[in-house]
Amino acid sequence: MLTIDPESTVPIYLQLRNEIMEAIARGDLSTGDTLPSVRALAGDLGVNMHTVNKSYHELVSKEIIEIVPKKGAVIIVDEGVSNQRLALMSAEFRPLLAEALVRGMKEEELQRLITTIMNNIKED
Amino acid sequence: MAFTMLLITILFISVIQVAIPFLIKRTVVFGVTIPYEQASHPMLQSYKRKYAILTFLVGITVMISYILGNQSAMEETKLVLFGMISLFVVLLTSLSLYFYFHYKTMNLKKREEWFRGVKQVRVADLALRSKDEMLPSYVHLIPSLITVMLIILSAQLFDQLPNQIPTHWGPNGQPDAFTDKSWMSVISLPLILFIFQTMFFGINYYTKRSGIKLNAANVTSAKLRQLRLRKYTSWFLFITNILLTILFSFLQLNLLYENLFNDSVLMLVPFAFFAIILAGALGLAIKVGKVDSDLEGTLVMDHTKKQDSIDEDRYWKGGLIYYNPNDPSIFVEKRFGIGYTINLANPIGYLILFLPVALILLIQFTI
Repeated sequence: MLTIDPESTVPIYLQLRNEIMEAIARGDLSTGDTLPSVRALAGDLGVNMHTVNKSYHELVSKEIIEIVPKKGAVIIVDEGVSNQRLALMSAEFRPLLAEALVRGMKEEELQRLITTIMNNIKED
Repeated sequence: MAFTMLLITILFISVIQVAIPFLIKRTVVFGVTIPYEQASHPMLQSYKRKYAILTFLVGITVMISYILGNQSAMEETKLVLFGMISLFVVLLTSLSLYFYFHYKTMNLKKREEWFRGVKQVRVADLALRSKDEMLPSYVHLIPSLITVMLIILSAQLFDQLPNQIPTHWGPNGQPDAFTDKSWMSVISLPLILFIFQTMFFGINYYTKRSGIKLNAANVTSAKLRQLRLRKYTSWFLFITNILLTILFSFLQLNLLYENLFNDSVLMLVPFAFFAIILAGALGLAIKVGKVDSDLEGTLVMDHTKKQDSIDEDRYWKGGLIYYNPNDPSIFVEKRFGIGYTINLANPIGYLILFLPVALILLIQFTI
């Protein structure tokens, strides 16, 4: 299930991007599967097509999906992270980690936090 | 015959009107969105009961007066007119009652501040479309082959046809209006049939592409209802297409070959058409209406976390007319009744429904 909260401060296209990533992480969808068309998903959620389009473009730039003519948005992600991708992810992690350190969090606490979030994603 | 058909129609419409409040989605009462947990609120249940009892009484009264009218040896045309008026009385009173309870429900919702503290979200299931069992749209093009054959056949027989062509048939299946022979008047029936078939294709095609809206508080039931609605309406549409093709082919063959069918067949075919359509509509209403409605029984909350769907009442004028420019869907589930209605913010919707009507009227006026 995808859940979008219109009241949230996080823009809808980012929420949607994150929800699709979580669905893949959970195993709801796997490599080779096709996402619904932009029109279909926008209709299901009752949001503007541009919003869904923007989320799909986010996922394309993350190399998680690929837009294949006539087939639609196909999931292409596979196991293993390239060095380039790792560098991008670490850049995104960095400010969050800095905030955690500023607040005096220890390594074990951070590890526990990560485990909790991972379980949360899997359960949902 | 006309009397029986009208009486059955009035009975059918009355039964549906009485049953509607219990067949519609639990979370939309008289066109007003309510939180899932309020679905069994005693006031709402009492509104629904009152609506059902009042429409039932009106239906019964109208039917009795119509039957009495029939026994008083009224003229056939007057009786048909009386029947039509009776039908409108049933429809208009149920519509007025709908509006009355629509405003009562809106006030109750406002007064009790139902959506306060309820987290409103939008949900969708990425894998749901793989379970969608709607018929493919091209099936609606298959009966068109028969239409094409009818037109070819009519062209070949054109010279042998009489100078008067029937244009209207009475309820007994006998033609009661004629026009001069011309290319247009000879092929007008298959032409109208072809317009209908194309319209059915368009409806199926755009329903398939429209959104599958789920209720966030009870996803399981909502999914089942949406899948059933899509599957059975597409089947209903296809059966209607086939029946209409049979009916029109039958009338066209009767026009091309005089005395091909005897009088009892002429009477039976339109009646069978009418009976199957009504039975199909009833079956559809029951199949869809028993899921995620009051008929389903107990309320099951899917999540322990309190969440509900977005209140989209502002896109529904009077709870009946949908206008939402943000929604790319062309057909959406009706709020009061079983089936679909169009998103008036989308011009394709107008085109699919009004263009065929305009074309058929044009054909009628040119012959």
